[in-house]
Amino acid sequence: MKGKGINFRKILPFLLLIPTLFVIITFIYIPAADSFEMSFNRENKFGTRTIFVGTENYGKIFTDPEYLSIFGFTAVYVGLTVFITVFLSFFLALLLNKNVPGSYVYRALIFIPYAVSPAIAGTLWTFMLDPVAGHVNYIITALFGQQIAWLTTEPYAFIALLAATVWKMLPFDIVFYIAGLQSVPDDLLESATLDGAGAFTKIWKIKFPLVSPITFYLVIMNIIAAMFRSFATIDVMTGGGPGGYTTTMMYKVYLDAFSYQKMGIASAESVVMFIMMAIVTVIYFIYGQKNVYYR
Amino acid sequence: MAKTKVQFWHAMSGWRIDLLNSMAEDFMELHPDIEVEVQYTGSYNDTLNKLIAGIKAGTPPNVVQVYEIGTRSMIDGQIAVPMQDMIDQDPDFDIATFMPQVLNYYRIDGKLYSMPFNSSNAILFYNKTMFEEAGLNPDKPPRNYEELKQACAALTEKDKNGNIVTSGITWNLHSWFFEQMLAMQDAPLVNNNNGRAAPPTEALLDNEAGMKFMTLWNELTEKDYMINTKKEDWTGARKLFLSQKVGMLITSTSDVVAMMDGAEENNFEVGAAFLPTPKDSPKGGAIIGGGSLWLIDGNPDEETKAAWEFVKFMAEAPQQIKWHEGTGYFPVRKDAVEQLLFEGYYTEYPDHLVALMQLLFSKQDYNTNGAIMGVFPEFRNTLENNVEKMINGQLTPEEVLEKTAETTDDLLEEYNELYE
Amino acid sequence: MNIKRKKVLDTTFTEIGLIVISFIIFSPLLLALTMSLQTPESVFSYPPKFFPQSFHWENYTQAFRAIPFARLLLNSALVATFITLGKVVTGVLAGYAFANFKFFGRSYIFAFLFATLFLPAETVMIVPLFMVMKEFGWINTYWALIIPFTASATNAFLFRQHFRTIPSELEDAAKIDGAGPMKFFLTILLPLSKSMIGGVVIINFVYSWNMYLWPMIVSMEDKMKTVQVGVKMLISGEGTNNWGIIMAGTLIAVLPTVVVFLALQNVFVKSLVRSGVKG
Repeated sequence: MKGKGINFRKILPFLLLIPTLFVIITFIYIPAADSFEMSFNRENKFGTRTIFVGTENYGKIFTDPEYLSIFGFTAVYVGLTVFITVFLSFFLALLLNKNVPGSYVYRALIFIPYAVSPAIAGTLWTFMLDPVAGHVNYIITALFGQQIAWLTTEPYAFIALLAATVWKMLPFDIVFYIAGLQSVPDDLLESATLDGAGAFTKIWKIKFPLVSPITFYLVIMNIIAAMFRSFATIDVMTGGGPGGYTTTMMYKVYLDAFSYQKMGIASAESVVMFIMMAIVTVIYFIYGQKNVYYR
Repeated sequence: MAKTKVQFWHAMSGWRIDLLNSMAEDFMELHPDIEVEVQYTGSYNDTLNKLIAGIKAGTPPNVVQVYEIGTRSMIDGQIAVPMQDMIDQDPDFDIATFMPQVLNYYRIDGKLYSMPFNSSNAILFYNKTMFEEAGLNPDKPPRNYEELKQACAALTEKDKNGNIVTSGITWNLHSWFFEQMLAMQDAPLVNNNNGRAAPPTEALLDNEAGMKFMTLWNELTEKDYMINTKKEDWTGARKLFLSQKVGMLITSTSDVVAMMDGAEENNFEVGAAFLPTPKDSPKGGAIIGGGSLWLIDGNPDEETKAAWEFVKFMAEAPQQIKWHEGTGYFPVRKDAVEQLLFEGYYTEYPDHLVALMQLLFSKQDYNTNGAIMGVFPEFRNTLENNVEKMINGQLTPEEVLEKTAETTDDLLEEYNELYE
Repeated sequence: MNIKRKKVLDTTFTEIGLIVISFIIFSPLLLALTMSLQTPESVFSYPPKFFPQSFHWENYTQAFRAIPFARLLLNSALVATFITLGKVVTGVLAGYAFANFKFFGRSYIFAFLFATLFLPAETVMIVPLFMVMKEFGWINTYWALIIPFTASATNAFLFRQHFRTIPSELEDAAKIDGAGPMKFFLTILLPLSKSMIGGVVIINFVYSWNMYLWPMIVSMEDKMKTVQVGVKMLISGEGTNNWGIIMAGTLIAVLPTVVVFLALQNVFVKSLVRSGVKG
């Protein structure tokens, strides 16, 4: 029987981690090592011709002016997406948490964007944003007499992409914020009300800080999602355009890996992304932990 | 008795999946010792990626459909059994019944590498009803760039805010149309005889023909005579035409039936015409687009032989007719076309006849046979990106061609280094 | 009186706000619904339609005929369920290890785990992963669709965060009562985390349900494909599309995730809140 044995307690954490570590080493790190090796080569589509090019792939990334603008766009895109999603979802979670009649339905409706695949989401938005026959322009033309070419001009392509990405990510954050808000103790809020605290104070001085571990989690998760998972939406909505305007680092990796089958440079680009994310995360954890309130 | 298994991967979605499945079943009835496993493996890109994974892991399929622009990569990769090898060993197969216009794309130095399967051209559709309303003659579609601009001018209507109500023409933002327009003017895309005499080393697309088309594209955009779609948005372009927002559409010949049905549903009369060319340019022809069937190496001999039987079957006249009627892609053989002609098919589908005639009238040379290069997908994306910039006023037509040619030269150099 | 009035106003504004917002958020799907009930040609008519006006239910029956939906739905259900199960189990165990224990190399192992999130597993690594599957002999099997995804840093991280919010007094009390770490985990910690687990189940289920690229590459037969691959089968890149059927297929594919969400809504949204300390 498991007792209070000191030895057991000492090895228990390792035992708990075995399943996770097995899966990620076998199915993630080993393929990743393969890719890492690939980043120093140039290969033809089928792998029947490979030449060793050393750090040439990396050199190309850092000297290509197009790639530098991709860096910039990625930073803006990720930053804005995360910022808007986190605050908007917190706001919506507050509303949904009030349990007004019909909340069950509202939550379901608001959840659905997450359940739709990124490609279909992109397709639906594309239809709605069609410059001549689409719903959004129909309304805008009726109100403002303007016809906006949403997906083919700057900056509208970016706005459209931002809206679609936030739309898709919102439910993820809302789900966790609702779960988190559920565990904010009622008595804390009651005593605050008795102390004369208004709604604003209760939200920003009590609720938001108490869910800060969730926020901490969501911000980094949203960053990762915006960095790594939004390429399908970009592919469907703008194809990275117009003229490469909405190409993020991940979308470039996707193009190089899947459309041009240039595995060498795609691998190098992912290594660069990996290192950047690692740096961002380390900074995030060090700085962020200070602002998180654990009970 | 163990059946020989043939794995066939294709990228034809929607109702065409059923069509291919039934054709495979017909084959299996005639060949009870062969089992064909038909699989829809996604888009052309997805299929190619799956093929790569299969080859690298040593589990390749037997027959796979690859898009036409993958031809150089397939040849250089040396992962396929050239179709010519099988033809040379098979006395039953008569290559003369096949239409050279279609075969020529996949033939290099007289050697056929893959079997043409779903072949198409670009064609101009126009809204006869809108033509009449705009004062244009519905029986005289524009034949050259000048007439095209005039037609667009007549068709374009804007409201008091300057927004487009109807416009002249659209085609989706796809490099294919650029390539077609070059070939229609008998101009090459790359050197070394369009990549057919030897792997190309230099892009030639910044020639006069390219300039003419790119300038046209720019002019039509600036004057709002055309509506541009986003990259490779076939659906968007069709939509504009069928909802009568534009009077003309350049799209694939495989869309004939869809256009006929759509026009009927939306109450207008549709007509088809050849692609317009500049008046003073040399006359070339249309390039074959679409895909072909490849036999993949690395499988046991009986499987490859069985796969060849399957490919032969799919290339026979009855199957070609069935495929053409079901999808709108060209039948690859003369006898199939003859039969359709004698059955009165072309009276019922005059637009299919227009497509066929454009193909038959095409001069056959290196330029119209289509360019072959290993970096096609990236070249296309580069061109399309630059065109998008042009549409947004960031580049001139000349710069589009210059930059694309420059990038393509670099890509070709990179690619060729692999084969030194 | 004043407080009651305030509450009614508050509720009304909230209600109105929620109606508007959920309508806006839901509208693209309303579009999908409308399109799924139209004939393919009228999908492109102008002016655009906002609500279903025609009811061509045959799009749905045709979608079922176009692809083997029943089998695909079953496959997706199996795959998504087991991946979710795996991810939740490995996630709570790992989260517990990181949150409640101090051990040698803890932060390094956590970093090692977390770093997996910076790898674009869905693109560059697909072919190497495919080769690993070949080694195991798992190509075209459920194993390939499930096992590689049964652990994730996301979940470990999330549960680590969550478990750290549980006051340590609880653990101390359990120790005093003579309960071992696993007993504490199973009888106290997990029950307190029901909301979180509910949320995690839903998120992971949907994520697994929506996977497309990997099932496409690793399945070699139609009967091993998942529903997203199936829906993609209806869409053609350059050919003409029957958007009515495509949207019908899409909605059929989305339905199970919505059902799972509705079923779990009551798990992660509790109207009663229990303060942990009074357990």
